[in-house]
Amino acid sequence: MVVMKENNLLSSLSQMGVGLGAKNQAFELLKGLEFPTRKTEDWRYTSVKKILKKKYVQFNEAEKVGLSNEIVPSLDAYNVVLVNGVYSKELSDLNFPDEIVLDTFPKALEEHVSLIHSTFNGIAKNNEEVFTALNTSYFHEGVFIHIPKKVKLEKSIHVIHVNTKCNVVSNVRLLIVADEFSEVGVVQSFASVNAMECLTNSVTEVFVKENAKVVIDKVQSEEPKNNLICTVQVNQKANSTFKINTATVSGDFVRNGVNIEVDGENCTSEMNGLYMQKGIQHVDNHTKIGHLKPNCTSFELYKGVLSDKSTGVFNGKVIVAVDAQKIEAYQQNKNILLSREATMNAKPELEIFADDVKCSHGTTTGQFDDEAIFYLQTRGISKESAKKLLIEAFADEVIDKVDSEELRIWIKEKLD
Amino acid sequence: MLKVKNLHASVGDKEILKGLNIEVKAGEVHAVMGPNGSGKSTLSAVLAGRDEYEVTAGEVDYLGKELLELNPEERSWEGVFLAFQYPVEIPGVSNINFLKTAINERRKYFEQDPIAAKDFLKMVKEKSALVELSDKLKNRSVNVGFSGGEKKRNEIFQMAMLEPKLSILDETDSGLDIDALRIVAHGVNTLKSKDNATIVITHYQRLLDYIIPDFVHVLYDGRIIKTGGKELALELEEKGYDWLTKEEA
Repeated sequence: MVVMKENNLLSSLSQMGVGLGAKNQAFELLKGLEFPTRKTEDWRYTSVKKILKKKYVQFNEAEKVGLSNEIVPSLDAYNVVLVNGVYSKELSDLNFPDEIVLDTFPKALEEHVSLIHSTFNGIAKNNEEVFTALNTSYFHEGVFIHIPKKVKLEKSIHVIHVNTKCNVVSNVRLLIVADEFSEVGVVQSFASVNAMECLTNSVTEVFVKENAKVVIDKVQSEEPKNNLICTVQVNQKANSTFKINTATVSGDFVRNGVNIEVDGENCTSEMNGLYMQKGIQHVDNHTKIGHLKPNCTSFELYKGVLSDKSTGVFNGKVIVAVDAQKIEAYQQNKNILLSREATMNAKPELEIFADDVKCSHGTTTGQFDDEAIFYLQTRGISKESAKKLLIEAFADEVIDKVDSEELRIWIKEKLD
Repeated sequence: MLKVKNLHASVGDKEILKGLNIEVKAGEVHAVMGPNGSGKSTLSAVLAGRDEYEVTAGEVDYLGKELLELNPEERSWEGVFLAFQYPVEIPGVSNINFLKTAINERRKYFEQDPIAAKDFLKMVKEKSALVELSDKLKNRSVNVGFSGGEKKRNEIFQMAMLEPKLSILDETDSGLDIDALRIVAHGVNTLKSKDNATIVITHYQRLLDYIIPDFVHVLYDGRIIKTGGKELALELEEKGYDWLTKEEA
């Protein structure tokens, strides 16, 4: 039997707070798991060695911090703020509508125990994803969002994760339950202020029930030296809509996992991503969509701009089950490398077991279009400005997928 | 305005321009004609500053400046404009935004404030009318989804917006039907003044029915082998290039 090897990350962690059976189960499971190596297929191009080697500190009290628009987007939304992984009542918005539940773990357990028990950890892949098992075992703070039947929340909920100290480790958990015919938009921001060498390991579970609509915008603008692992696990029921946009504008090591199970007919699913790494930063987007039922559509567009010696990974898996006929699934990944030393590894994977489907995928990685740059120069646009215009144009296609104008503007500003 | 002396240019190991001379004064329209492969497009590319072309000898004086020392954007700011034979499609960059950026970068070069939004819009309205460019096309991504004729009209629209001193039209007539040709020529003729000059590079005489040149040059094997008035174009139309190139050989 495999026994998990001790490492600095593990020895930095201690179990606290939330009393849930799922935690203990995951903890037991974790003992038999291994951290990925380059031989692990899903982690071939992403090494976790550096992350495991570091020593971290776990916090249990929220620090005070000023959050300007420079650090996290100031949105017209209900803010929930976690500082160094700990809920900050002071910084959070407590004036959200009565008809929804917006609560934090572990407090949420006291009032919503049956709903949490029937959903929490229900779709998290603890046995497949070691960082998910780690999160389930050690998470001590998190946010629970429940949107009851037919409630359509006009303003978004903005869950802000911010690190303010060096070497902080936090396992944060988000649970979103959108009941039948409900609608909600959640923005999840990951940022830091004067922090270095932190590791945030976030797991989000999303239940999108019949005819419900959930939109998640993930904004990752960690300071350069920080590490982030974000796993989003989604379950969609019939006639539902789910969309997730991921914008990674910085971060030393960023791994995003998005895993959608479409478990109902007539669903629409959308995954979009934009990543802009610099220096020696690394970003990895792994997406998986499983079409289990017929008559559904999924769209996927990931675009990257990599400079200097940065590296990127895109792996998009589309699975269409045997009886899932009339599926339309479209996937695209496009990259621009701004330097000869930047690297991109892109791998689309289609596993189609049904015979009446429309699926397409494509991936391109290239340099700038020199013809276009010359054309712009002959019109009096300097080479630098021409490149900027072309990067903006390239990124706009994805940024336009974000519904909120203020968020679109914020992301565009971070492009410079 | 422009004095090209003994210009030699190569792509890779291949010499294409082999001692080209041409002089263009303000107020003049020059036509450069020649068979395929004679170096017509190389001439326009070298004048605009495309870096795949290496100038191995010769000099180009433009308004007292050494043109070849300037990069493409500086040439544009100084008033050189190239209308492309194949205008480039640039998805995601709107026609209008890019022109605004272009105009403001030039204004910055001359230490002027950015153009006022109102003045810019007025200019767009006026200049686009000249080549009958619709609002829809103005706001679209540069050349994306434009027909051949629309692309060429868009080139002349840009030329009108940038108000160049020296315009080089590279095979602007290629791929144009007669109506589009008329519109393009009307644009060029309207923009003509005693202070600016135009070099029309073309394979056929057809365009010169609409844009009347003061001088016609025949380019062959990298050099100008004959220069004449507008009647030379008609002669070429009638007799082809053979009688000249044979003479040359």
